[in-house]
Amino acid sequence: MVHITGNFLAESPLSPKAREALADALDQGWSDQGKIAHSAARARILRDQAMESLAQGLKVRPDELEVLGEPALGHFYAIGGLLRAKDNLVHSSVDRKEIFALARTHGKMIEIPVDISGRMEFKSLQKAAQYSGVFALQAANGETGVTQSVDELVETAGNLRVSCDYSIAGTRVELPTKWDSAFFDARSWQGPQGIGLVAIRNRSAWQNPLPHIGALRTPQSASLPLLICAAVALEEWLEDEPSEIKRLRTLSAELREDLRSIDNVDIAGDLSGSLPHITSMSFLYVEGEELLRTLETAGFSVDSGSACTAEDLQPSHVLAAMGLLTHGNIRITLHHSTTAVQIGELIEAVKSAVTDLRAS
Amino acid sequence: MKEINCLGKRCPLPIIETAKAIKELHPGDSVHLLADDPATEVDLRAWARMTGNQMRVSAPNEFLITKSKVD
Repeated sequence: MVHITGNFLAESPLSPKAREALADALDQGWSDQGKIAHSAARARILRDQAMESLAQGLKVRPDELEVLGEPALGHFYAIGGLLRAKDNLVHSSVDRKEIFALARTHGKMIEIPVDISGRMEFKSLQKAAQYSGVFALQAANGETGVTQSVDELVETAGNLRVSCDYSIAGTRVELPTKWDSAFFDARSWQGPQGIGLVAIRNRSAWQNPLPHIGALRTPQSASLPLLICAAVALEEWLEDEPSEIKRLRTLSAELREDLRSIDNVDIAGDLSGSLPHITSMSFLYVEGEELLRTLETAGFSVDSGSACTAEDLQPSHVLAAMGLLTHGNIRITLHHSTTAVQIGELIEAVKSAVTDLRAS
Repeated sequence: MKEINCLGKRCPLPIIETAKAIKELHPGDSVHLLADDPATEVDLRAWARMTGNQMRVSAPNEFLITKSKVD
């Protein structure tokens, strides 16, 4: 069996505290909240407490926040709820595939290009803002970690309604001063998989995009234990964040500097314009899958945006839109538990893997 | 002009073959690459930026690469 010494995948296991909260919640929060039973009342209280805590952590009002048991639908709720038939869906060329799918189904879209550092072009957005529409604003990109200047973009977007994708940025990018809906994923604060949160600020502009009866904005079918676990994970995350952000930024700076010493490496974006925990890099003349397997064998799990690792064998549309090398790509994600020793070991493993693969 | 046929070959092979061929050329000389991997164009563009050479798409799945500097 391979001994994994470093998890640098986008996902990470729950912290002991969050896992304990989940086990407790399975005991306490099993009842159907809609019923009259005592257990149901307890479940309702637990839910309200969790939602309040999450709202506070995400800096939104509790009455703005909705939970989704299927986070992949979050973009659809956040954007689709604001989008009218005559509207353009304005989005960037590095958006998630879900946004492209939504744009294609909607039929009217304007794609905003990015520069080589992954930043959206203001001029194109300014042009798009002349028409009515919804601006899908991705605060941070999951493949490269590149962040956007959300306030400047929102200002440029003028009268476009703004739907913020914070599924990757989480709490690490402040919400802009003006927004109409926002989407979060509990995984961005090392919470459980399967909890998405949609915040709806502009109630008059948002309409439930799915068939519905009554005033409920989302199906209310998300798992209560997972919701409670997500709230506990966020509390713990925010407690550690002030020191962790600094620490991870320092580790990422070291990682970038050391790996830049390898010949012909293309690193996505600058650290100052990126999340502190995601680094994407591509090595010329190296096949991504081979690099991934070599690192896995050495005990390091990383992600890749290269075509050979994608289901459809297409190169990453994000790297392509930025004009970066798409082959030989790896993405390294640091977590609250990542140590300096692990980073040092990873750097050595990457250097040796790239050298060996280029020589073979 | 030297021609490299990488039709049916996956990236990074077309880029590796191009780099090998370019090494043997003088600045100003070109190679003609045939490649149909969907990543070829974007990767060749990135390669040209990183190595200081020049490339252009001459026809669908055809690329003209010019050596710009001495190795």
